[in-house]
Amino acid sequence: MELKYFILRRSLVIIPTLMGLTVITFILLWGLGPELIYRGINSSPKVNIPLSQQALILSQNGFSAAVVNGKLVFTNPIGMYFNFVSDLFRGNWGYIIGQPLTAPTLQAIEFYFPNTIQLAVGATVMALLIAMPLGTYIGARPNSASDQVGRIFSLSGYALPAFWLGLVLIVLFGNNGTAGFGNGTSGNTPVGIIPYLNIFPYFGNGTEFLSTTAPKGFFSSTFGQTLPTHIFLIDSLIAGKLNYFVIALAHMVLPVATVTYGVLAGILRFIRAGMVDASGQEFVKTARAKGVPEGQVIKKHIRKNALLPTVTVLGLLISGLLGGVVTVEIVFNYKGIGWLAVQAALNYQAWGILAITFLFGIILMVTNLIVDVVYAFMDPRIRY
Amino acid sequence: MVEDVIGTDLLDIQGEKSYHPRTEQLLATARSFLSYKASVVGLVITAIYFIFALVDWVYPAILGIPAATFNNMTTYSPFAIGTISGGINNDGIFRPGLAHGFPYLLGGTIFNFPLLLGMIASLRFDIGYSVLVVFTGAAIGSSVGVIAGYLGRWADELLMRLTDIFFSIPFLILIIAFSLAFTSFFNSSLTAMIVALIIVWWPTYARLSRSLALSTKSLNYVEAATAAGSSKTRNIFYHVFPNVLSPIFVQISLDLGSVILIFATLAFLGVAGSQISNYTFPELGQLISSGSSTFQTTFTGVHLGTPVIWWPIIIPGIFLLIFTVSINLFGDGLRDALDPRLRK
Amino acid sequence: MEQNVMLNQEESQLSVEGLKVRFFTSKGIVKAIDNLSFSIRKGESYGLVGESGSGKSVTATSVMDLIPDPPGRIIRGKIFINGYNILNDLDRLVTIRIRKPTDVRIKRRKRLMKRHNYIMSGIRGDRVAMIFQEPFLSLNPVMTIGDQIREAILLHSRVEIANSIIKRETLNEDDVSKIADTLMAQPDNFTRKKLIVRVCSQYAIPELAKLFIDLFENSTDKEFITKELLSLVNTKKTGLSLEELEEARNYFLLMDRKHDLSLRLLEAEKQENEKLAEKLHLQIRAINQQLRSDYLVYSLKRRFLRRFIDKPFVEYATGRTLELLMQVNIAGPERVIDAYPHELSGGMLQRCMIAMAFSSNPQILIADEPTTALDVTTQAQILDLMREVNKTYNTSIFFITHDLAVIAEMCDRVGVIYGGNLVEEASVKEIFYNAKHPYTTGLMNAIPKAERRYEKTARLESIPGSVPNLIDPPTGCRFHPRCKFRMDVCSEKKPKLVEIEKEHKVACFLYSDEVENEIEEEVP
Ligand SMILES: Nc1ncnc2c1ncn2[C@@H]1O[C@H](COP(=O)(O)OP(=O)(O)OP(=O)(O)O)[C@@H](O)[C@H]1O
Ligand code: SF4
Ligand SMILES: [Mg+2]
Repeated sequence: MELKYFILRRSLVIIPTLMGLTVITFILLWGLGPELIYRGINSSPKVNIPLSQQALILSQNGFSAAVVNGKLVFTNPIGMYFNFVSDLFRGNWGYIIGQPLTAPTLQAIEFYFPNTIQLAVGATVMALLIAMPLGTYIGARPNSASDQVGRIFSLSGYALPAFWLGLVLIVLFGNNGTAGFGNGTSGNTPVGIIPYLNIFPYFGNGTEFLSTTAPKGFFSSTFGQTLPTHIFLIDSLIAGKLNYFVIALAHMVLPVATVTYGVLAGILRFIRAGMVDASGQEFVKTARAKGVPEGQVIKKHIRKNALLPTVTVLGLLISGLLGGVVTVEIVFNYKGIGWLAVQAALNYQAWGILAITFLFGIILMVTNLIVDVVYAFMDPRIRY
Repeated sequence: MVEDVIGTDLLDIQGEKSYHPRTEQLLATARSFLSYKASVVGLVITAIYFIFALVDWVYPAILGIPAATFNNMTTYSPFAIGTISGGINNDGIFRPGLAHGFPYLLGGTIFNFPLLLGMIASLRFDIGYSVLVVFTGAAIGSSVGVIAGYLGRWADELLMRLTDIFFSIPFLILIIAFSLAFTSFFNSSLTAMIVALIIVWWPTYARLSRSLALSTKSLNYVEAATAAGSSKTRNIFYHVFPNVLSPIFVQISLDLGSVILIFATLAFLGVAGSQISNYTFPELGQLISSGSSTFQTTFTGVHLGTPVIWWPIIIPGIFLLIFTVSINLFGDGLRDALDPRLRK
Repeated sequence: MEQNVMLNQEESQLSVEGLKVRFFTSKGIVKAIDNLSFSIRKGESYGLVGESGSGKSVTATSVMDLIPDPPGRIIRGKIFINGYNILNDLDRLVTIRIRKPTDVRIKRRKRLMKRHNYIMSGIRGDRVAMIFQEPFLSLNPVMTIGDQIREAILLHSRVEIANSIIKRETLNEDDVSKIADTLMAQPDNFTRKKLIVRVCSQYAIPELAKLFIDLFENSTDKEFITKELLSLVNTKKTGLSLEELEEARNYFLLMDRKHDLSLRLLEAEKQENEKLAEKLHLQIRAINQQLRSDYLVYSLKRRFLRRFIDKPFVEYATGRTLELLMQVNIAGPERVIDAYPHELSGGMLQRCMIAMAFSSNPQILIADEPTTALDVTTQAQILDLMREVNKTYNTSIFFITHDLAVIAEMCDRVGVIYGGNLVEEASVKEIFYNAKHPYTTGLMNAIPKAERRYEKTARLESIPGSVPNLIDPPTGCRFHPRCKFRMDVCSEKKPKLVEIEKEHKVACFLYSDEVENEIEEEVP
């Protein structure tokens, strides 16, 4: 009951932030200028028409523009803002024309998003799977040799550029084939300099060789049926194509490893600090005095308390994760929305940039909300 | 009793010099910092990088880097000088070693420019602009933060909501978007990028200094000063700022490393704007990126079994890593030394 | 541990001999406890008083072997709990090399420490239980009170629980009628009631006790009673599989046996009885073997399906928790059992702590200033509760406080500690009316004359000077810098704690010339 109210209240706090997000997006739009916006105003904008006509078309779409000194400029920001916001929430996100593809922005995002989910979720799961036991182990032994190793590891996680780590992994283990794991098998060219270990494909997510570049019906054309998730790992399983699953898995190894490394360092550091902090508290002594065996003291009493502060910084880590995803998608040519964002920026696709900025903001806001709710769920003291 | 007084007096005359309390505190901090060996190493390496960056800026000829136009960073390109021998070609790039003289110790870049010199030349941009970004961001952020924290109420609330918004977008995307949006306004992609970075960076400092200001506000002596009729401005300058300063410095040292990483990342992604995203621009991320391009063109299924050109990728990365690790170690040590509770 | 030789006085439940505790800090070695000896008899309530920082808490935590390490370590001494020395393997656990007081290297033998911890975890909470000073900090904030008490219950009496559940499940008509017979045969209601409660908890149906009592009060017809009893009992049967329960019981039996054997092995090793040690070792190996083969599936299930496997036990423990909470006079135990610590008041929490401590009927209860954080009325209630427990279960209580009024109320005998040394020990009466040691008399004079209890505590402040720095403690008698009766010898030699009257020990040169050898021995 109380939790429900808490969630409701916490959701309401989102509103000002959401408004701020729309303002920032609008400032971006203003900065990008009418010319770039016009380029994606509809599915086939006429470029070789006089500026005054362009201004007219812009105005018809809610962007009050005018020609001043032979240049297109925006006018009336207030009215435009409201038009823009309503467009944003209705999903009128303009068009991406030309590079990297031609499609309505929303559809392009829909198309690339599942890949990013696959990568981000994979990395988060891996990071948590590694960080929980490792952080518990290290945190229970502060200042031991393993703690020092852990410290260096976390430090390197902060200091390593993700893109470079990705490249190093390719140089060591990569192969540029399109098949699954394998070394020297047909279509796989070893790139990695470690003999026999250059078995991980580094290009894309494995769907590349399925030919077709058409956004919609992409999966159906391959599997002969429409698949529900558009996440290659899962769809291949649903379709019962184990060989595709292996291919998908092989393509995930290097990108996930790269993203995981950066996130892991942060989580590890926080879990360790939480563990050290919690183990100094009185209730740990009580637990020991009860006769709780040492292993249980660590897992049941200390870790449970140590995870609380870790949860609070999860939002920050997710932000880092999304940034890492962008870089890694470029390094591995892995076509997710991070890749799309960079391609849009490189090709001055104003709508793509606006949409993705907005989208990332929403994602982060929602994850922060979830994190807060999880925290409230975990810490009985928070409910009010 | 009397003897005691005489004793202490004598001690004062002969004994060690005593300093102003602030100086004493500084000395204690320095002593504490020097006891963390790893951090001292970090400081030394960081200092070496900074010195190289400075020399490169002032008089690059000492370093053997071809002279260039000093005032315009964008035309400053050692790679453009006619040392290109092989181009993007496996045979034309020297391997690491002393066979081709000391500058080629670490091999050549894809244009077969000496990698070592290329990396040193990059420091000028990387370190110089990181310092610019971080210090500007810190100055703006901490001023805003201190004032908001000290005034409290609506100013505080406003700041929190404002920073909330900035924190609600992953910073890499925000930087990319901002730098693109500002390019036409500033007429320079480099300026746009720097401004974007500052915009993204100040909220961190605002938050940090706000919370510090809040906690100093309730310190006894600040309250006492307020009660004694000390004005708000005076309080902020004399009491709140000095207390905020040291954590801010720690944050600055840590952030210098992060901003360099972002420069490198942006350059690698190619979104840093046309002035930088150019294989001849001396920037570490750019160096790595160009290195990786060799490697990608070499291996699209053509050169089966040929040795990989790994050095233009790996070596600049390690060079960058050494700097970021060092400055992180330095920052960690600084934090521990400045925090009396953590002091040994 | 009946096999173990009872040392010292026959009736001593807890005895500490020559305890030395050190904290190795960056500023130097804190000599927190020096050569401390005392013993507590069965059913006795022993108080330890002293100023803040005199080493009371360190003594108490030493008894549980819970000194935080690092920085602290017990470096010498014996602590007998029920005749078993828990510091048996002390010398072998670590090697301490002191280069400089600020540079101490401690080498820990991980395997031995692990075994030591294993053995201690079976003793802590089972035979000795402890209550701490700060109830707010001493309970885990993210676990419910019920969970924390249940945990304590399920740690130590699993075999008994399994047995009583099995008994309940196999209860048949014959048994019930026998029970009815015995209950009917009781001479009066009071003894019957008592028996009913006992029987009910034996058969894991504690919640039926009340109904049973009503039944016997309202009827004397045997047939009717038997029928009613049977139907009542049948409602409580859950139809659990007997095999599973028995497997669990046997598994716990084995675990207990293993613990027992390990304990004896340690003792045998200490006495260098190699033959016995070898034998015990083999037995432990056999148990481990059995656990790995016969109980493999069960232990896997315990690891991964704990929630289902332990369900009957948790249910039982919940019943017992309610019972315990009622025993410590908590209003609305059903609500408290699901509450988190932050939702309760300090007094309630301290009651919960006591309930937790009593979950396995310990023979010794250590209470480290259990009432200091509480207000005066609550304080009195908690003290009453502890006294009651002391009387009914004949539990020994080791009571620590700096409040002499509380000592007067609670304790049979008192030890006075100063700077990590016991300076006087006598019965309460003696201490209050015939204190010998200058420090003790100072403490007595510090009590406000009228019992001004609303001041919360009679703080011991009127002795000039302050507690010594234990890194560089004063030479000789630790108290000499503050002592009015200081003599020359006092700063040179350390007085020994000697019995100057019957049951009255003092360490002071005013009463005896005996000197304690004060050599800072090389630590192991
Ligand atoms: N973790 C520790 N590290 C260093 N020294 C310690 C530590 N714990 C206790 N000590 C030292 O041991 C001495 C005894 O402390 P202890 O906590 O037993 O005092 P106390 O008699 O319980 O006082 P109080 O009435 O305040 O609880 C103190 O001088 C203290 O400095
Ligand atoms: S031994 Fe000496 S200093 Fe110590 S208490 Fe007795 S008289 Fe005082
Ligand atoms: Mg204490």
